[in-house]
Amino acid sequence: MIDVQNLSKDYVQKIKEPGLGGALKGLIKPQHKLIHAVRDLSFHIEEGEIVGFIGPNGAGKSTTIKMMSGILTPTEGRVLIDGRDISKYRKEVVRNIGVVFGQRTQLNWDLRLSESFELLKHIYQVEQADYDRTLDELDGILGIKEIIDKPVRQMSLGQRVKGDLVASMIHSPKVLFLDEPTIGLDVSAKYALRKFIKEINRVRKTTVILTTHDLGDIQQLCERIIIINHGVMVEDGNLSQIVDRIAPYKTLVVEYYDEDAPRHPGCEMTEHEGNVAKYRFLKKEITAAEIIADLSEKKAIKDVSIEEAGIDDIIKIAYGE
Amino acid sequence: MEPAFKRALKELIHYLDVTACVMKMAVMTVIEYPSNIAGWLISNPLQFIMGFAIIKFVVESFGQISGWNYGQLAFLYGLSVISHALSMIFFVQGWFMGYYVIEGDFDRYLTRPLGVLYQFFFTNINIFGVTDLIPGILVFIYGCVKCGICVTPLFILQVLITLAGATLIRGGIYILLGSTSFHTRSAVDFGQYTQEIMDKTTMYPLSMYPESMQFILTYLIPVGWISFYPASVLLGIDSAYNAMLIPLITLAVGILVMLIAGAYFNMGLRKYESAGN
Repeated sequence: MIDVQNLSKDYVQKIKEPGLGGALKGLIKPQHKLIHAVRDLSFHIEEGEIVGFIGPNGAGKSTTIKMMSGILTPTEGRVLIDGRDISKYRKEVVRNIGVVFGQRTQLNWDLRLSESFELLKHIYQVEQADYDRTLDELDGILGIKEIIDKPVRQMSLGQRVKGDLVASMIHSPKVLFLDEPTIGLDVSAKYALRKFIKEINRVRKTTVILTTHDLGDIQQLCERIIIINHGVMVEDGNLSQIVDRIAPYKTLVVEYYDEDAPRHPGCEMTEHEGNVAKYRFLKKEITAAEIIADLSEKKAIKDVSIEEAGIDDIIKIAYGE
Repeated sequence: MEPAFKRALKELIHYLDVTACVMKMAVMTVIEYPSNIAGWLISNPLQFIMGFAIIKFVVESFGQISGWNYGQLAFLYGLSVISHALSMIFFVQGWFMGYYVIEGDFDRYLTRPLGVLYQFFFTNINIFGVTDLIPGILVFIYGCVKCGICVTPLFILQVLITLAGATLIRGGIYILLGSTSFHTRSAVDFGQYTQEIMDKTTMYPLSMYPESMQFILTYLIPVGWISFYPASVLLGIDSAYNAMLIPLITLAVGILVMLIAGAYFNMGLRKYESAGN
């Protein structure tokens, strides 16, 4: 579905020195610096995948997604969608994509939501019957018809994002790009958005590419993640496999009746505070049940819980923190 | 029918269909804010009526400007204001292109299957420009009457061709100036300067300026073709050229300026950097 080949993007940035002297120097002899926002990215995305792009701010996630959706022209490399280069055949290729950027809207602020949909219907030349069907289907997921006659300027952020999601699907694109879609949304709006993504992916086989900082989005939506840092791909693969590889451990939390906590040869005690001790162990080598059994022979245990290595650990490690 | 021709026709119909929809939305937006209409209806025409009053005062004091009498000046002034109004309706966004570049507002146009420039101008069509059109037409008709022009279908055709060309020249210049923002990455509002220069060079006879200026305003920044040359032949002041030829040249110059502007815009668009989150 999507082929990204050796994609790179450079920016030229003016170097500004402080003070009046620096300003004058910049005027007479401007200094430029080449910024490699994205370097030599290559990957392939199959139809029907949901892929999450993660990485710290300024890592090149947005730049990548903007090159993939035809907004930015790559310095090198190319993006093929359904076999066609998006920067060469922009007008034809963008018919296959929908775009939602969290902080921006493509809706007309002054008019009712339905008016914006009407314009998109004309822009993408959608037949009335298809338009009605799409709207009915999306209404089933998001309840959009409750707000369709409301002026966009009077909408809450959650309602507006719902409007933007439907707007991006009016022409039934094969690929949907979402750049930080859940930013600023409350719990119920986030829930609605995730449900929407799952549903269109399940029913329509829409390929979804999203960038996010929200670990919930990734955990609930993405089977595959691509981690980018400093413009370079750090990881690309199945989420649970990456977790297993980068963070192959679990943490057992044990509460005793007093402050004396025994050690265990099969694991490492990472924390010991008051009556509570934490033991980190490798999933492959030993099970929590074995450790608990061994420990309970040495001391009476009051309570236990297990902390899974999560996606946040992955991100910490991958980001090099 | 040839497939290429068929495709072009289909595309034209697509654009016309979207244009109709966009126009409808623009009118609806205006109706949403009725109080704005009143303000524009008063302030905009007033600006041009005042401008014309100054010309009247100057002509009454000095007899004429550069050999043009009062009626002829009204004709020229009216012609200029009409094309100004048309350019305000269709191309005024060009003045604000820098803000779109900085704010990353071209993103949404780039992800839709239509020309970016087309969307930039037509999804922001400025119906309020009509308020400039009214004084322009009034002064132009006044000029026609004063000069005793016999309004024939040919004359109307010549005027329409001139206006089409003149609007394209103005629009092209807005695009050229606005597109510099892609390279400078700064938002400069060129509207004020452009308007000043255009007003001073299209509302009065170009012949009142020194010859070097006339040369520049004819060949380098071709604003002379917006109103001065067409008015000269339509009024018979300059009878050296065919009265049909000059409007056609204006149209050709308009198309040329637009093509250059479009190419320069597309060059800039390749350097477009969107906006960070």
